[in-house]
Amino acid sequence: MAITRVEVTPKQGPGMRDVRGDVVRRQLAADHNITVHQVRSIVGFLIKSEIESDAIEARVNDLFADPIIEDGATNHLLLSSKNHFPDTPSCVVTVGFKAGVTDNPGTAALDGFRTIFPDAGTASISTYITYAFYGLSDEVEVQWLANTLHNNLIQRALVADHTACTNENWPAIEYTEKPPQTFEAPLHIDMEIPDEELIELSESGLLALNLEEMQTIQAHYRDEQVRAARTEAGIVANAPTDVELECLAQTWSEHCKHKIFASKIHHIDTETGEEATIDSIFKTHIMKPTHDMQKEVDWLLSVFHDNSGVIAWDDEWSVCMKAETHNSPSALDPYGGAMTGIVGVNRDILGTGLGARPIANTDVFCFGPPNWEGDLPDNLFHPSRVLRGVHAGVRVGGNESGIPTVNGAIVFDDRYIGKPLVYCGTVGIMPRHLPDGRESHIKTPVAGDIVYMVGGRVGYDGIHGATFSSLELTEESPSSAVQIGDPITQKKMIDMVLEARDLGLITCITDNGAGGLSSSIGEMAEYTNGCEIDLAKVPLKQAGLSAWEILVSESQERMTIAIKAEDQPEFDALAALHEVEATPVATFTDSGVFHVKYEDTTVAYLPIEFLHDGVPQLQLESEWKAPTLPAFIPPTDANHSDLLLSMLARPNIASKETWVRQYDHEVIAQTAIKPFVGVERDGPGDAGVIAPIHGNPHGLVISCGIAPRYSDIDAGAMAAASIDEAVRNAVCAGVDVDKIAGLDNFCWPDSIESVKTPDGKFKLAQLVRANRELERVCRAYRLPCVSGKDSMKNDYGTGEKKISIPPTLLFSLFGDQPDVRFTATSDLKHAGDKLYLVGQSHEELGASEIAFMLKESGIAAGIGGTPPQLAHPEQNLSTYRALSTAIQNGIVQTAHDCSEGGVGVAVAEMCIGGRIGATVDLDGTGHESLWARLWGESLGRFIVAVKPEREDEFVQWMSGHSITMLGEAVDEPTLTINDGFEHVVTADVHAMVESWQGALDMTGGVE
Amino acid sequence: MPSPKVAVLFGFGINCDHETAAVFDLVGGNAERVHVNHFISGQRTLEEFQILAVPGGFSFGDHLGSGRLMGNRMRFALRDQLHAFVAAGKPIIGICNGFQVLVKTGLLPGPNGPLPDFEQRASLTLNDSGRYEDRWVTLEFDPESPCIWTKGMTRMDCPVRHGEGKFVMPSTTDFDALDADHQLTVRYVDPTTTPGEGITDAPLPFPLSPNGSMRNIAGVCDSTGLVFGLMPHPEAVYAKWLHPDHTRNTAPGPQHSDTLGEWEGEGLQMFRNAVEYAKANL
Repeated sequence: MAITRVEVTPKQGPGMRDVRGDVVRRQLAADHNITVHQVRSIVGFLIKSEIESDAIEARVNDLFADPIIEDGATNHLLLSSKNHFPDTPSCVVTVGFKAGVTDNPGTAALDGFRTIFPDAGTASISTYITYAFYGLSDEVEVQWLANTLHNNLIQRALVADHTACTNENWPAIEYTEKPPQTFEAPLHIDMEIPDEELIELSESGLLALNLEEMQTIQAHYRDEQVRAARTEAGIVANAPTDVELECLAQTWSEHCKHKIFASKIHHIDTETGEEATIDSIFKTHIMKPTHDMQKEVDWLLSVFHDNSGVIAWDDEWSVCMKAETHNSPSALDPYGGAMTGIVGVNRDILGTGLGARPIANTDVFCFGPPNWEGDLPDNLFHPSRVLRGVHAGVRVGGNESGIPTVNGAIVFDDRYIGKPLVYCGTVGIMPRHLPDGRESHIKTPVAGDIVYMVGGRVGYDGIHGATFSSLELTEESPSSAVQIGDPITQKKMIDMVLEARDLGLITCITDNGAGGLSSSIGEMAEYTNGCEIDLAKVPLKQAGLSAWEILVSESQERMTIAIKAEDQPEFDALAALHEVEATPVATFTDSGVFHVKYEDTTVAYLPIEFLHDGVPQLQLESEWKAPTLPAFIPPTDANHSDLLLSMLARPNIASKETWVRQYDHEVIAQTAIKPFVGVERDGPGDAGVIAPIHGNPHGLVISCGIAPRYSDIDAGAMAAASIDEAVRNAVCAGVDVDKIAGLDNFCWPDSIESVKTPDGKFKLAQLVRANRELERVCRAYRLPCVSGKDSMKNDYGTGEKKISIPPTLLFSLFGDQPDVRFTATSDLKHAGDKLYLVGQSHEELGASEIAFMLKESGIAAGIGGTPPQLAHPEQNLSTYRALSTAIQNGIVQTAHDCSEGGVGVAVAEMCIGGRIGATVDLDGTGHESLWARLWGESLGRFIVAVKPEREDEFVQWMSGHSITMLGEAVDEPTLTINDGFEHVVTADVHAMVESWQGALDMTGGVE
Repeated sequence: MPSPKVAVLFGFGINCDHETAAVFDLVGGNAERVHVNHFISGQRTLEEFQILAVPGGFSFGDHLGSGRLMGNRMRFALRDQLHAFVAAGKPIIGICNGFQVLVKTGLLPGPNGPLPDFEQRASLTLNDSGRYEDRWVTLEFDPESPCIWTKGMTRMDCPVRHGEGKFVMPSTTDFDALDADHQLTVRYVDPTTTPGEGITDAPLPFPLSPNGSMRNIAGVCDSTGLVFGLMPHPEAVYAKWLHPDHTRNTAPGPQHSDTLGEWEGEGLQMFRNAVEYAKANL
């Protein structure tokens, strides 16, 4: 087959621009302070097919080049065309994918190619992009430039420096085929080896299993009954096959089995003298409280056991939500890792019950500071590059899937350089009942049902994702663990699956994420107690994958779906209509066995019970000793006006608008409160509100809370603050506080004491404290956790080079909102509106944003002190209910939660959103310390504004709750803050806007 | 007159199909989401329908240029059905990615005559900003446009959500010709101008014009006024509660409608216009 090269470049001329080149030029300026006169781009296609180049050339303008805006060339490089590129560039960089890496433009081009050449036969297309730089300083090394433009894990780059350009020695990426894999017959793994060798076997095979787990597997194969059954099944009796060992490693991975949350913990508190045993944090502190609450309400339909938690929203519809992290892949390839994160969690929703429709996304990221100037450990990207890549991956994944991103956050801390956190959440909706009468949140498989793999194919990509994320990041982390999502393949699959659901075809569905088919079919087989898989039937991206690779590959965009045998023709026809690949690969049985074959050979024969419940419980040690930190002592004199402008520019506080605006937050035509609010639509939104049923104002609130800074003092306080923030944000939108549900997503550093982790006991004690607080606060708020996830190995390197993230809980919340026509937003509405503080300010400046800022600038010695406490959560709940109902009744239209930066920042943000000023008096709002009242981050507080004519009603409505008159909004664009007779802050609203918006606008502007 | 049947295309990455169907239903249409392949395979035909909507989304991921690959499927596989649909005087709307599709099939702006020739005359290319953005803009309509979709509409607020919305044509004479026929139906305008006086040819700065579109074009119609496409999303402002100013009690729109009472948003009228047109003429 011949290879035809087609290149396309934007036309030059009045009004025409090379926008791709412009983007690179502006990013070089924004990120590296490098000016370049011009960057031009060329997109290349390498077409391998039976179609002659002449025939392709004749149709270039029908497919590859848009004749209005682009010029194309066939089988020669555009750079060599003096017509198109008359000037000699300073240098050229061309970037293509490595063979075998998902190339979405190439896939799309191939689809278009077949439209034009229906007889193309087996063809394939790969793509590349070339940048020509003009007027670039000689000091910029072209290889360095290439490195900023590609990721060598997944891409390859060729360059031409100025000399090469002068000699017209242009770099040309050629078509490369991925070398075929060789199919290896399943190996028998000898487990009759000494303990050291068992450990060696686990480590060298990336199994991530500990000695006890390896011994448990060893013991299984010594069991005479097991051996007899295996002999009868025709598989090696006394040793696992590689398929079985890989399957156990995936299923028993920390990622899939949450072994730390399930462990038995011996906990000591050196301060109180407490000694306790906790038999599974998850069961004790998360599951039990939720199950207790489930007895008291009728709307908790499905908790914990499915791919997401489901609550009844009204008589016709239920809603569900799930959040996950994709940290390790995002560290290695920020774009691909984050994209697979978002499209992966979308599939969790699609795989809930009999299939839910994803209708909203949330994205919360934790990164190192984007302006970091310190050293970077080997193999880690600069935080600004991680931010750009992760953001782009999530943007493309969400936008192309047609799911609005309605809520999120970006948090910065030096330690996230070691491991960025990429939380992706999705909300789904499904009819309570299907047309055939089944309740859609309940899966109904029976033995004999046919199991299909639907969507993408299986490839070498994504092997060992689950076990890899259960290890710390090292310089040798494998590239096969990284993949790029393909949102369009997935979108087609979602369209098809939802039709299949409504036709009543689906009896069981789950997604293929971590662990691939091994996990998806393995988990579903628990329903019927058995399955039989034929791996030879699984469609592959490239031939030659071995059995174990097919079973555990985490290739994206796949669902596993069970249907009745008699429904196969209808299901197949639906798949054909949607151009979605759907292949029967397994059958449910009731044999009690996870039975895997390759054609007629049995390659795995594992009892379902052993597979799912065989992993031994970890026994862990936990010891709490409060960290001793230098206290935060505020300076005796300070210019609070200056401090306010500096605080507004702190990355943790500053506007993320330029980033967030690049997410589609309004597709589906349901978003009633958008991420940014106010007259200029650029003030901070507290929570997302959607009205998903068209024509009906019944709403759903989606919010989140995250406060990792407090972990430096007490991870318990961190957890309480995160939950309270999520609830407060939802209250600002007028949520029904009696119908809220939460998701707990823990990201922790390794908490198992070992040579690598000498402080494991302390880190585990942090986890214990966080979960105890989670239980206490959730019980008090009657806030069930319906789903959650944990990521427990967020460290980079070992020894002195080790970087551990601060223990981080993301708490996401979704709740009922009775009527989106009655909500509140943070922007001040009218001069004369009365401002009130709801709640009290305490002396709780420990680990506050102001403390961190003043410590970093050398003004304060430390950040130690009391972090925000949640002493009386029941009381808070009653206040929240009062405020929320005031909003639902239209009494309050302006409310903002007080969090980072306290009252000072909150009021400033309200002025920014309204583009008007305010005059505020902090006297009487709490503790005597002005710093506590102005900058403190005490929980349970809001600032609200009410129209003067409704002020009496508001005061009466809130009677019995702590509210304090603060002042009023004023026409003049100035924020004035007083403390009794003392003048504290004068800030111009426009100056505040500038500080708040300038800090994280890394776009390089728009010309 | 029974409710006009509206075909709302979906599949291959179209993603605004649900809401686009919903807004036609709200104004008395009878909308059905139909997979593109149903028409291509001949299982269904466009002839069954009185109105065709190509919704927004990311058909084929916008690879090789937004709307290109879907446009090709329609241009090559649905050519005859589309030709007959237009010849029968039935309205077509393309929104966002749907507009891009109609431009790349050649249905918009189309030839200077009533029947389509499937020649591409314009394009929608990457925003000058280089960014996909979701933001609200203000639109103004040419009151003399033959477009049946925008009858009686003067100005509205609307979200744009695209990365490739810059409308371009090869020469200024192309624009002059369309302008003379009032086919430059809808433009981005500065909201501080007086309604009815906002339209200007001189490029507005970002973000008043979100993409650097030539002559601030947000949407165009064909010479019959029946085929119409625009980058902004009128379906996304079918209700006032979707307007960013609703929490400030200043969301614009009709005082009262039979559809949503005092909460009807400005975008719904566009769909009502087509449904009323179909009722009266088809």
